[in-house]
Amino acid sequence: MRRVGWLVLGVAILAAPWLVAAVVPRQQRYVLHVLIFTALFAALALSYDLVVGHVGSLSLGHPAFFGVGAYTAAILATQARWSFLTDVFAAGLAAAVVAALVGVPLFRLAEHAFAVGTLGLALVASVVANNWVQVTRGPLCITGIPKPALGPLAVATLPAFYWLALAALIVVVSLYRGLTTFRLGRAFHAVRDNEPLAASAGIDPLKYRLLAFTIAAGLAGAVGALYVHYLSVMCPEEMTVALTVNLLVIVFLGGVGSLRGVLVGAVLFTALPEVLRLAPTWRLVIYGGLLLLVVIRSPGGIESLLRRASR
Amino acid sequence: MLHGLTLGSMYALVAAGLALMLGVARLINFAHGEFFMLGAYVFWFGYSELGLPYPVAALLAPAVMVAFGIAYQRTVIRAILPRSWHVQLIATLATSIVLTNLAIIVLGTQPKEVPTALSSRILDVAGLRVAWQRLLVLAASLAIFWGLHWFVGRTRTGRAMRAMSQNREACAVVGVDVQWTAMVTFAISAALAAIAAALVSPLFNIFPDMGTTLTLKAFAAVVAGGFGYVNGAIAASFLIGLTEALAGSYISYAYKDAIAFVIMIAVLLWRPQGLFGRRIGI
Amino acid sequence: MRLALTLATLLLMAVSAGAQATPPIRIGFASAMSGPAAITGEGVRWGATLAVEEINAKGGVMGRKLEAFFADNKAQPGEAVSAVRKLVDVDQVDVIIGQTHSGACLGAMPVVKELGVPMVIEACSHPQIRALSGKGGNEWTFRVALDDEIMAYTFARYMARQGVKSSSILAMNNDFGRGAADAYDAAFKKANVKLLSTEFFDPGQPDYRPVLTRLKRANPEAILAVILASDGAPFMRQFRELGLTQRVFSRGSLGSAEFLYQVRDNPKIGDGVIEASYWITGLDPEWDKKWTERYKVPPRIHGSLAAITLKWAVVPALEIALKKHGKADRQTIRAALEEVDVKDSPLGPIKFDANHQAWINMILIEIRDGQLRILEKLPTSPALLN
Repeated sequence: MRRVGWLVLGVAILAAPWLVAAVVPRQQRYVLHVLIFTALFAALALSYDLVVGHVGSLSLGHPAFFGVGAYTAAILATQARWSFLTDVFAAGLAAAVVAALVGVPLFRLAEHAFAVGTLGLALVASVVANNWVQVTRGPLCITGIPKPALGPLAVATLPAFYWLALAALIVVVSLYRGLTTFRLGRAFHAVRDNEPLAASAGIDPLKYRLLAFTIAAGLAGAVGALYVHYLSVMCPEEMTVALTVNLLVIVFLGGVGSLRGVLVGAVLFTALPEVLRLAPTWRLVIYGGLLLLVVIRSPGGIESLLRRASR
Repeated sequence: MLHGLTLGSMYALVAAGLALMLGVARLINFAHGEFFMLGAYVFWFGYSELGLPYPVAALLAPAVMVAFGIAYQRTVIRAILPRSWHVQLIATLATSIVLTNLAIIVLGTQPKEVPTALSSRILDVAGLRVAWQRLLVLAASLAIFWGLHWFVGRTRTGRAMRAMSQNREACAVVGVDVQWTAMVTFAISAALAAIAAALVSPLFNIFPDMGTTLTLKAFAAVVAGGFGYVNGAIAASFLIGLTEALAGSYISYAYKDAIAFVIMIAVLLWRPQGLFGRRIGI
Repeated sequence: MRLALTLATLLLMAVSAGAQATPPIRIGFASAMSGPAAITGEGVRWGATLAVEEINAKGGVMGRKLEAFFADNKAQPGEAVSAVRKLVDVDQVDVIIGQTHSGACLGAMPVVKELGVPMVIEACSHPQIRALSGKGGNEWTFRVALDDEIMAYTFARYMARQGVKSSSILAMNNDFGRGAADAYDAAFKKANVKLLSTEFFDPGQPDYRPVLTRLKRANPEAILAVILASDGAPFMRQFRELGLTQRVFSRGSLGSAEFLYQVRDNPKIGDGVIEASYWITGLDPEWDKKWTERYKVPPRIHGSLAAITLKWAVVPALEIALKKHGKADRQTIRAALEEVDVKDSPLGPIKFDANHQAWINMILIEIRDGQLRILEKLPTSPALLN
């Protein structure tokens, strides 16, 4: 019975453009736009959860990697005319390299210092993006980023982009599962749950934390590249510290360390406000309040509520 | 130079409160900047709307924020104090979001100006022009820090705070009232932020978002000074204030907000335990 | 007899019901409703609401009422795309007024073309917008406001006429400020004013001492300040505190009622500032009065610009569309906008050229004795750019 349920859900997700066109014909473009954002955000949140949920390092610097990837892709696509797939790859690589470089000194710090250190990284990256006008054009933004092209196929329509975003999400989900199960996953969890014990068992915490951190950054950079190809514009405002808050809400409301939880969190956080159409400031108050409640009462997030319900 | 000291005083007052909480109660409070912001609005309300004289309005701010701080402590803090610092960080961050946006809704986005007699009068000495208010900020901060030092060193509660920051479990055993001490610490922390706001608001202006950057910089100072060591946080704050002013004047004004963090990262790279090492106690 | 009367009544009811069944014309307003620039969006919302009420109270446009819809672009291009899509797909608007911020304008422009909805820009100041609109490729975007290139050339020449030989630029570190700084850099060269230094500051941060120290050191004769009223107040206070004596020329909203309100404890603090703008309180005293009565603060620039754009650009277009085609949908409104020819709006003539730019008047405002006064009203035209 459950298998059939999953199959139906899978088909519905794949066929979303047609379903949306049938159910809400007049609003279909807007709904697809929201779904694309949801898919991209879900991928970004999963990459963040690798660091926060699976190796237990509270990094507050994820927007920096998203931004590095986004700007790398934007500059390569507009200045050097690189093709879509190559600039996405370059974006992910650039972000991963930056993560490896800053990760080595950052991980030497004690936990609290690490958190504030990564926060500092996000802030510095944001200030640089806004002021290094020769490269990023600062607040004037990089415009004219071309729509993606997979070989001869141009991804020019909304449904096409939806499937591209969905494909990216599926790739990230698979990587996430692969990284968090089997021996590697167990090593990550050992580091998260009991670092001294892990170290004594021969698992080098620094190595594994850095590995998760770097891979997560690379994924964030790749998502950034997709994001700029969708919007065709990249501005410094897209990578501020506020993005960390969004990611924290998704991951902690949804359920830190759990695939289903984070996906549910991403859908709720991205799609729900569009449906409810709350005034933006009230929306933030509600999210803050929800986050506060959830983190105090039910730190496992919605995922733990779902688990309790299915018992 | 003087300007750097003024900035440093502001950061120091806020960071000291943060360090106190961290040292004594092991609490990470990301909503600390909002105490500053709300204190500023209370001051504005007292001075501009109620027409109270400056000293009265300036004392009203910490009075109200102490009450608010105690309410905050009994509700949110009590719930998160026994939990992991991850939970504390996120819970207080969430509170910060709620408070900032409620302020936007209730008080509006238009910044409020609160010029006082001292902020408009300029002292002109040998080509150096400075508003009297800036000197007040500096003088008041020094007085407050001296008072804080005396309090922690000489009074019973102060010594209890020191003891708690060194060994909390032992405190309960020897009969120190842990709850009361924690509450007093929190009240002091809130009052420090509010006084900073009352001192500095006449020079700058007041808007709902003013607390967020301040929290980040205060954290940078606390971390650089050695987590939970109050004098370290104060020293780091002055370092940050002076560097910001100097770099802003001579190198580049646009990048100055990043300076606090660059300093912090540099300090941490050189000495991962902070400028004064891993000291026990406040 | 009774049958005839009943039939007539029924017919009358049917006709009146049908008349009431004509739907209102939907106008979308997009601006920064949240985030650091939320104050502009608030102004737009207030201005739009007041203007729509005013128009509907007079019976609407040729009997058709107007309905306003709002969307938040957070002053970011990504959000501007979402805002446009929401207004078009969900709210089904017929025309959009807005974006206010250049980054958002640039992000929204491709989308309004894709969706086929006319957008009349009330405030974005990036010169690239003019290059891209109308015969520049995007037939769906129109702009009422002047851009920085137009204003810079005019203002720089004015400064030179006033005897200014050297200047520094102090600009907000956002799209508006950076765009303006680029424009004035080029304009100063053309007007033979030496540019000594350019400084940027983050809007909303209140501490100007470091940058004022730098300006003092560079020692220009004048400072060209690209700054809004809310930042202008602490700026001028600290300017006086440090004892600077440069002449301040500004582009933003320093010379405005909002600024004077912020410094009402010491209104002369702004004396001598000359502002280049295209809007000021006093252009439409009745509007100012309505605004102040309703909102209890002096009229705000972005709200008033949105209202003027609605009343003197969009409404005439609606009238043309309704008269010619009997309907006001997206295509007819777009075509009608190209025919709008208003001579006497509060901003000056509104007629869109081949790049869909309206060449409204530029106004030079001076603060003297704590009051605003109009120094000069300069008509603009493409010839200015040569």
